Amino acid sequence: MTLYHFLILSVLLFSIGLYGVLSRRNILSVLMSIELMFNAANINFVAFNYFRYPGQVWGMGFAIFVITLAAAEAVVGLSLILAGARHFGSSSTRPGTAPHD
Amino acid sequence: MDPLATCPLEVDGLIIDAIFYVLAAATLLSALAVVSCRNIFHSAIALSACLSIVAALFALLGADFLAASQLLVYVGGIMILMLFVIMLSQRPATVPLQRANSQWFWGLLLSGVIAWRLLLSFRQVFRFEGSRTPPVPTTIALGHLLMSDMLVPFEAISLVLLAALVGAVLFGQDLAENPPK
Repeated sequence: MTLYHFLILSVLLFSIGLYGVLSRRNILSVLMSIELMFNAANINFVAFNYFRYPGQVWGMGFAIFVITLAAAEAVVGLSLILAGARHFGSSSTRPGTAPHD
Repeated sequence: MDPLATCPLEVDGLIIDAIFYVLAAATLLSALAVVSCRNIFHSAIALSACLSIVAALFALLGADFLAASQLLVYVGGIMILMLFVIMLSQRPATVPLQRANSQWFWGLLLSGVIAWRLLLSFRQVFRFEGSRTPPVPTTIALGHLLMSDMLVPFEAISLVLLAALVGAVLFGQDLAENPPK
């Protein structure tokens, strides 16, 4: 278990999240993929903190800020999705699509 | 007494490595399930599993407070909110949506290229072993850090949270049914 292992893990997690953001059809899935990318960044923060600066907690502090910002983003995004679903009748990423699309 | 201290160092490292590989494989599998499940409800369940496993990784890295707040905020808060929104916004007939839009190939290509380049760059730059330190509680240190050196970002983030709260209330109300007086 080295820093290298954690960097590989977070790169793979980030790429999976990026693929989800670019390719999903439902906007809720896009939001969930963004959460995956946030988590990849958090793993990097904590892993650098643990392996490079043991005894300090700056990486964990920034990870707490990332979690808080993710919560704020999720709240605003979800309320926008709800408003959009009420307005358009679907939560697809293509505007004006029929509800069954 | 510390249970890690009674363990010989090599066995200890092997166990930690095994735990890491199991957790990493579970993280990646559940993340793949998030972006590939047809049913969005299954995606949300897979995402909550993925977030819980990331919390376990944080605990493995000695970040106890962060693991607990990941479970509380992400799995207990954000995921429940997402499940509510899924159940509110999806009609029952439309829940099994077509999962990918027309640019899935280019998305796959771009994310694959970015992952490949990042992995290559890590190979060139990082050549060091980690130093394992015994885990110590971090809550007190984090509290001191948030109240001293990180005070300005702390206050800024509370403003951001207030703005998000107001925005969520504003976007969430149904203007068609309840017009503002």
